[in-house]
Amino acid sequence: MINKSTLVQGIGITNKRVSGRLRFINKEKSTDKKSTIYNVGTELLRLDEAIKRAKGKVWELEKRARELVGGNEAQIFEIHAMLLEDEDLNELIIAEIKKGKSAEEATRLATKHYERVILELGDEYLSGRASDIRDICTQIIDALSGNEKDSEQIDGQYILVAEDLTPSQTVLLDKSKILAIVTFGGTPSSHTAILARSMGIPALVGTGKIDYLLNGSYALLDGAEGTLIINPSETQAEDFEKKRAKENKIATEHERYLRSLMNKPAVTGSGHKIMIYANIGSENEISGALSNGAEGIGLLRSEFLYLEKNSLPSEEELFSTYRDIAIKMGGRRVIVRTLDIGADKQIPYIDMKKEENPALGLRGIRLCLGSRDMFKSQIRAILRASHYGRVAIMIPMVISVREVIAFKELLEECKRELSKKGIPHDSKIEIGIMIETPASAIISDKLAKEVDFFSVGTNDLTQYTLAVDRQNSSVSGLCEENHEPILRLIEMASREIHKQGGWIGVCGEMAADLSLTEELARIGVDELSVSVPYLLGVRGKVSECK
Amino acid sequence: MQEFTFTIKDKNGLHARPAGAISSVAKTYQSTIEIKCGEKTADGKRLLSVMSLGAVAGQELHFIIEGKDEENAREALFTICKEKLGENDK
Repeated sequence: MINKSTLVQGIGITNKRVSGRLRFINKEKSTDKKSTIYNVGTELLRLDEAIKRAKGKVWELEKRARELVGGNEAQIFEIHAMLLEDEDLNELIIAEIKKGKSAEEATRLATKHYERVILELGDEYLSGRASDIRDICTQIIDALSGNEKDSEQIDGQYILVAEDLTPSQTVLLDKSKILAIVTFGGTPSSHTAILARSMGIPALVGTGKIDYLLNGSYALLDGAEGTLIINPSETQAEDFEKKRAKENKIATEHERYLRSLMNKPAVTGSGHKIMIYANIGSENEISGALSNGAEGIGLLRSEFLYLEKNSLPSEEELFSTYRDIAIKMGGRRVIVRTLDIGADKQIPYIDMKKEENPALGLRGIRLCLGSRDMFKSQIRAILRASHYGRVAIMIPMVISVREVIAFKELLEECKRELSKKGIPHDSKIEIGIMIETPASAIISDKLAKEVDFFSVGTNDLTQYTLAVDRQNSSVSGLCEENHEPILRLIEMASREIHKQGGWIGVCGEMAADLSLTEELARIGVDELSVSVPYLLGVRGKVSECK
Repeated sequence: MQEFTFTIKDKNGLHARPAGAISSVAKTYQSTIEIKCGEKTADGKRLLSVMSLGAVAGQELHFIIEGKDEENAREALFTICKEKLGENDK
């Protein structure tokens, strides 16, 4: 129905070009089934919007059905659309809302009424139509909760379109099917952008709202130009293909060069050796990391095991995954960062209070130290896995020596428990902390005495140092050209940890920024940990450094 | 005022599709369109209302049309009835 070519402009992440069908996904289901409301006006507006969306969906289905099975069968969707428009039904829903019911509840009550009327007719054939009314009810309620079913499955890969992606959603996505990601909101440093980079796929963020009716349309996404062309014209498609072919050729040549460096150590011109490690968020990324020359895992985001489940994973489950990772990495270092969640990175089954300001709230090590049993089970799992490879443990969001000492006490307690049971583990497991708060960099002289290594999380360090919310597109640009304060903090931490004979890595986005590699090498950074698609590039860049 | 009566011949009665067809035709006219079937009365422009008549084969639908375009509406409605509720040849 909408077939003319539409151009959407956004901010491109990664310079690739892809083409494919769009698939819209919705925000996470709201778990609270509302039955009472705040405001009649809002509820009426929601209803209006939901009915419009449901109708759009139905006409779309009608069109598809007509193409697939012919007009006769498609008629039923026409009936559905008419039911959605039906004044009697609408009036009844509105009346219920005015009585104080939520739009969802009102829809349920009104459709139930008509379902009953039809069933009471006692006619067998008409009774079947009651199901159409039920269908309508479901469609309106789904539209209300922004939760329409994917009635049309897109076979194969697709371009994912969403208002925004939450961290837990990104974990649950079938990544093998995603060609690219488009989000209405977001910034180059939002979760979506980070995910896209780690997957090595293009993304377009901050596009503004895209009409849901375009779901399933064919589109061209140009990460370099930051554009999405929906239903492209022939000329647009040809132009796109030309650019893509040219780009592919250059990319292949460059990759061949980088591959030739893969098994050589990354050493700068002045002889400083830098370890090139991978950031991974799940076990599946290991093979990619190894085939791209990762010398270790610099950041294992351990949240994935928690996000994939509906309840707290057991120590055994955690252990077996960490063990497998340690074995697969075959003696290369694997740094497990302990659970890093907070009000902005929620796990549904862990009860976290809503916070006004989650970035400054109960998160990372603060939360873990307060949830002793949960934390100890993760620490024990990591310790047990350390027997099967070279595992290190790292804690996030540190701001004080006290936190590190509290953590080390727990760690010792866990070691004792394991020893008592005769369970093997590396009793000298390496301990590290994330440097991601200005506080931790400022007191790095003291912290360095407590740990073996530092790893700089530049995303949070930038946000906390510059007082810039990286999810807020009106200020996130301020981070781009203002690296100096961050680099100075890293230099400070680097000096202090080296004094104590330890080492320092960088695992944030900055590690993958090739314009900063030279500076990071000069500061004395010993390790750069980046997502898999950047491994080769960073290694190549280090060897070009002075 | 225009009136006509139509006896439903389709063995499935006034089910969703013909009801849909009738109300969508009815909606295109300004005139008020009332359909009586036995003791029930429906607003011809409203699908659920028409469906709720529960009219089955052999029953009579009595159309009462009133308004500026009543003659045209009568003709259009009669045609759609013949087409959708006439003999079911399936």
